[in-house]
Amino acid sequence: MNLYEFCYGIIHWLVDLVNNLWYWLGDVLPWVFGDFFDAVGDFAASDSNIAFFTILTEVLIIVIIALINVLNFIWLDRKFMGRMFDFYGPYYVGYRIGGWLQNLADGIKLFVKEIITPAKADRVGFLLAPVIFISSSFLALATIPLGRDFGIATNESGAGVPAGVLVAFAMFAIAPFSILIAGWSSNNKYTLIGGMRSAAQMMSYEIPMLLTVASVLLLAGSFSFSGVVDAQHDLWFAIPLFLGFIVFMVCLMAEVEIQPFDLPEAEAELVEGWTTEYCGMRFGLFMMTSYLRGYIGGALATALFLGGWHGPELIPDPIWFLIKAYTVFVIVEWTRWSLPRVRVDQILDIGWKRLMPLAVLNLFIAVAFKTMGWF
Amino acid sequence: MAKRKGSGTLGLVVRPVRRTGKQVWSSLIRGKPNTILYPYQKLDLPPTYRGKHTLDFKRCIGCSNCVQICPNDCMWMEKLEDPELGKIERPGIDLGRCLFCGLCVEICPTVALHETVEFELADRDREKIKFGPKDLRDDTYAGQVVEERQKRLLPVLDMSKCTSCEKCAGECPEMCIAMMPIEGVGRSKPEINYNKCTSEGKCVIACPEKALEMKDVYESYFEMPEPKLVLQNCTGCGACVRACPADAIYMMDMPGTEKVLKDGKKGKPKKRAVFVLEKCVGCGRCFRACKFDAIEMPGVRE
Repeated sequence: MNLYEFCYGIIHWLVDLVNNLWYWLGDVLPWVFGDFFDAVGDFAASDSNIAFFTILTEVLIIVIIALINVLNFIWLDRKFMGRMFDFYGPYYVGYRIGGWLQNLADGIKLFVKEIITPAKADRVGFLLAPVIFISSSFLALATIPLGRDFGIATNESGAGVPAGVLVAFAMFAIAPFSILIAGWSSNNKYTLIGGMRSAAQMMSYEIPMLLTVASVLLLAGSFSFSGVVDAQHDLWFAIPLFLGFIVFMVCLMAEVEIQPFDLPEAEAELVEGWTTEYCGMRFGLFMMTSYLRGYIGGALATALFLGGWHGPELIPDPIWFLIKAYTVFVIVEWTRWSLPRVRVDQILDIGWKRLMPLAVLNLFIAVAFKTMGWF
Repeated sequence: MAKRKGSGTLGLVVRPVRRTGKQVWSSLIRGKPNTILYPYQKLDLPPTYRGKHTLDFKRCIGCSNCVQICPNDCMWMEKLEDPELGKIERPGIDLGRCLFCGLCVEICPTVALHETVEFELADRDREKIKFGPKDLRDDTYAGQVVEERQKRLLPVLDMSKCTSCEKCAGECPEMCIAMMPIEGVGRSKPEINYNKCTSEGKCVIACPEKALEMKDVYESYFEMPEPKLVLQNCTGCGACVRACPADAIYMMDMPGTEKVLKDGKKGKPKKRAVFVLEKCVGCGRCFRACKFDAIEMPGVRE
């Protein structure tokens, strides 16, 4: 399904409908504004206007899909964790659908809670940090297509954005900055330590991660998601670049800040890490966004290593993409609830002594494949 | 430095993941989690669980031992009129203050009190978790439970029928019956040493007056205080006999104390109380009933 054409059709139909009414109104009441009606109608029917609203509709659809996935992910996470620890997980709210409505109930609970800004906090930073965190995470969704032509930044030809992968990773990597702002502006020692840890953590995982991404881009010969995914039509990159896939998954867990690497938000050491001073729906949005980042991470792993939307024709492309992203998420959750948290010095060790040489080795392998002419 | 076992990639990553994977297999695919969904499913509680009490009215003798031993003072005796049993006194329990220690159950000489497995006692009103004797009554429960306490078949003396013939003491194969003279009465009463008794029942067969009878006697976990008579103060009023819940006190005439009346006839003789200590439950009711300080009972609350 072509998302752009679908949205274009809807918007075109809507504009035609409104414009007919509008011109009829101009015919009936010509003495009020004169030519103004015609000018507005012509502007509404212009190509640029329709394209703008088309993209807005696309954004709406993609964001709604992402939010539904986030609800599913939270449910899946809690349910899976429960079974892993030998209890039921969410059960009573939404009894018939396996406790799925528990997330909505928790969201409503967070909505009605009081929102407090600490008296000695730096107000601007304190209020700006969630905005940066959430908006950057949503922006990372902008270039990730769910199918060949099912994404925001696709045009009529379905070519996608030329450097979509780079944009997605750039947006994805902004989060530690906002975490540092949040930690510092809260004026609390735990949040400050959390924010600093986030910065230290970014040092260790960002470089190996981008090196593995570089190896993938090298094999694919393209910076766009559609190019990378099309290069995996015959063989997923997870097979030749198995080492890189492992390194990428470990780095992804550090990037998404989940359990073995959730140093900024270590409940056992720092109260709630950098979210300590946030309450009510601000905390809820942080929580939601961290799961959204889990979804983005799964999508990135799927697009770069697991063949994206390629699969047997029985199931449509976006569904294939989501199935793979869910699988990646479940595996990540599995390790998340099994492993203990690493120390700050240990994550630097892991990042620089283990992952970095492996990532470089993986890049050598990719270069070797490319020079042999196998890809 | 020797490397610790279980460190490294295999120990820190693969083993935990395998362990949790096994758990998912057993609680998601093969079966269900271990959790018991409480209001809908309930645990099978052990029969010795300490929950709400039940009281067997027919077994209870109204001795108030349970009221006295209760550490939280949450029991009380209530006077009742029962169509079957007549005027009786039975205990009630305030479960809001009860700590479920089970002392009342353990001390009960006839095992009339039991603790059931019922534990859902919460209520919005404090008065509603106060259970009077009628709320606790369950005469069938005591027969169903497996008795924990040792029960022995022992000869029990009815002193009003005894003629001090000493036949029982002669028959006893263990020589555990001793005829003890009663001061002032000029007769003796058989005192049976229950520790030595083998429950053969020869004394019961030998007794010509049927004063001895084989009865179930429960072993006691507690050392009971024993009443002791001060003969000088005893007026023979019989208040202790009326107070005794276990029928362990009998009034007996003391010959030779009759007053000579004006018309030359002899009056009624003085009476004294005689304790059959084998039947005593140590409740101290006689001690409290006596208004002449004629009974000493160390270790009993006033």
